[in-house]
Amino acid sequence: MATVFKQQKTKRDKAEGIVANDAEEKAIFKNKQRVLLLSSRGITFRHRHLLSDLGNLLPHTKKDAKLDSKSKLHIINELADLNNCNNCIFFEVRKRQDLYMWVSKTPNGPSMKFHIQNIHTMEELKMTGNCLKGSRHILSFDKNFESSPHWMLMKELFTQVFGIPKTSRRIKPFIDHVISFSIVDNRVWFRNYQITQKPVEHRSATDTTDLTLVEIGPRFVMNPIRTFDGSFGGQTAFENPEFVSPNVARAKVRNAKAGRYKDRMEALAKRDQKMKDAVLPDDPLSEKNVFA
Amino acid sequence: MSDSDSEQEQRLTLEDLEGSDAEMLSGEEDDPLDILTTQRVTINNEPALKRLKEQIALPTDIPWSETQSITSTQPVSVADPDDDLNREVAFYNQALEAAVLGREKIKKEGGVFERPGDYFAEMIKSDEHMAKIRQKLLDENASIQASERAKAQRELKKFGKKVQTEKRLEREKAKADALEKINALKKKRQGNDNSTNADDEFDVALESDDEEMKAYKTVGQNGNKGKKRSASSTPESRGKRLKKDQKFGFGGKKRHSKSNTADSSADVSGFNVKRNKSTSFKAGHKAAKAGAKKRLGKSRRQGGGGRK
Repeated sequence: MATVFKQQKTKRDKAEGIVANDAEEKAIFKNKQRVLLLSSRGITFRHRHLLSDLGNLLPHTKKDAKLDSKSKLHIINELADLNNCNNCIFFEVRKRQDLYMWVSKTPNGPSMKFHIQNIHTMEELKMTGNCLKGSRHILSFDKNFESSPHWMLMKELFTQVFGIPKTSRRIKPFIDHVISFSIVDNRVWFRNYQITQKPVEHRSATDTTDLTLVEIGPRFVMNPIRTFDGSFGGQTAFENPEFVSPNVARAKVRNAKAGRYKDRMEALAKRDQKMKDAVLPDDPLSEKNVFA
Repeated sequence: MSDSDSEQEQRLTLEDLEGSDAEMLSGEEDDPLDILTTQRVTINNEPALKRLKEQIALPTDIPWSETQSITSTQPVSVADPDDDLNREVAFYNQALEAAVLGREKIKKEGGVFERPGDYFAEMIKSDEHMAKIRQKLLDENASIQASERAKAQRELKKFGKKVQTEKRLEREKAKADALEKINALKKKRQGNDNSTNADDEFDVALESDDEEMKAYKTVGQNGNKGKKRSASSTPESRGKRLKKDQKFGFGGKKRHSKSNTADSSADVSGFNVKRNKSTSFKAGHKAAKAGAKKRLGKSRRQGGGGRK
C-alpha cells in the first residue's frame, strides 16, 4: 500500500511539476527495514515458539506462511518483495530435528546460514524478565565482532535485521531491554535482558551502576555455516571450517557403536589368521623325523 | 602404517567386512577419495566480504538512535564454553556495559530512557505467565524453607537422642557401681564373721551408714521417691529388731558364738571393778551379797524381757 501511494504521489508531483527536494530528502536518511519471518514445513514446537518469540520481539517483522520447498529457496526473494520486506529470517528445519536459520538481505544482498543450538524460549519459567512489546532495544555486540571480515559482515547484517528502525509502526517509546550477541567458541550467543533500575536502598557495595539486568529470553546459539554472495544462493564468500553438520555428528556416534562390533570381529579374524600362520618349522630332532 | 598393510590384507580375506563405510566417515576434514589430504580448502574470501559489507552498510553519519547498537569495550573471553556460570556472567557484564553506555547516548541525544511507573501497555509476556513465574518462585522458596526446617528437626532429634542415651548410661553406671559396693560390703562382713554360710541370696540388704547405699535405696529401688523413714524409728526404739538381726541376721551366728576368740577374750565389758572387789570371799560377804544387785534370769539378760 505504501509503495503504491508513493508511486501515485511521485506521478502527481511530476505531473504538477513539483521537483522533489533531493538534497533535503537525502540529508534525512530514514532507516527502513522490514523483516520477513518464515519457516519450512516440518517445524517442531520449540522452533515454532522461537519464531513467534522473534516476531514479538521485533515489531518490524512480518510473519508469512510455511514454505513448501527446501531446495528452491530463491522464491523467498519474491515473497519478500511481495511483502515489501528487504530482510528475511528463514527457519529451515531438517529431519524435524535440526534448525538452520538463514538471515538474508533480499533481493540482492548477502545471506548467511546458521545452525541453531541450545534453544530456550521465552516461555521457560526460569526467565523472569518482561518488557514492553515493541520497545526499541539496545543492541550489544562483542568486541570480537571486529576481528575478522566475516564477523564484521555478520555484525552489519544483525544490526539491520535485529535492530528496530524508528520508522516501524508498532514501536513503543521507552528503552526496556538489551539484546546481546557474543562470540564464544566460534559461535554467536544470543541473549535478551530486561533493564531495570534498582532503587538506592537495594544497591550493594559491588554494584557499579543502578541498572540491573534480568533475562527475558529467548536464548540460542548460532553456529555460522556459510556466507553467500547473493540472497539464498550465489557464491560462497565464507565457509566455517569448524562446522560439523549434525548429521555427520550423529553418524559418527552410530558408526562408533557399530565400529566396536566390527573391530572385534576383525580382531578375531586376525587372530585366527595369525594362529594359522604361526606354525613351527619341522624340527629335525622330533620323533617323526628321527624314527621316520 | 604397517597396520594399514595388514588391514589391506584383511580386506582381501574378510569379504563380509568389506564395503562398510565406516572408513569413509573420518570427519569433514578428510576427502574420502584422497586419504593423504588432511585438510580441505575452506573459503574465506576476505575482499569479497569487505565489499559486501560496504554494499549493505548504513551511512555512518546517521544519529546513534537509528540503530542503537553498541560494541563492547572489552572482547568477551570465556576460558571454558561449557562453564555455564562464568559464561553467563561474561554475557551479563557485556550487556550491562552496553545498557549503561546506551543510556548515556540516549540522554545526550535527548531521548527518553526510563519507563515511568504509571505507563501501562502490552508486555511481551502476558500477566498470567508472569503470575505463573511468580508462583514458581514462591514454591521454590517454600520448598527450600521446608527442607531446611526438616533438616533442623532431624539434627535436634539426633541431639536429643544423644542426651537421652547419655543419661540412661549414666544411671545404669550408677546402679552397677552401687551393686558392686554392696557386694564388696557383703564380702567384707562375711570375712569378719567367718561365716561359711553360702546363702547370700536370702540375705537382707545391709543397713549401713554409707551415703551411696542410702541413695541407692531411695533412688534406685523406688524411682526418685525414696521411702522416708518415720521419725519414731530411731536406733533406740528398734532394739528388738537390732537384737534379732544380731542373732539371726545372715542366717544367725549359730556356731562359735560363745567360743573364745581374740575379741571375746579382749572384751572386758562384763567385768565391773566395784562388784568384783565387793563380791570376793571377805567379811561381810553375805551382807554384800544381800546388798548386791541380783543377777537377772537368762531370758531377761538376753533382752527378751519386756515382751508384750
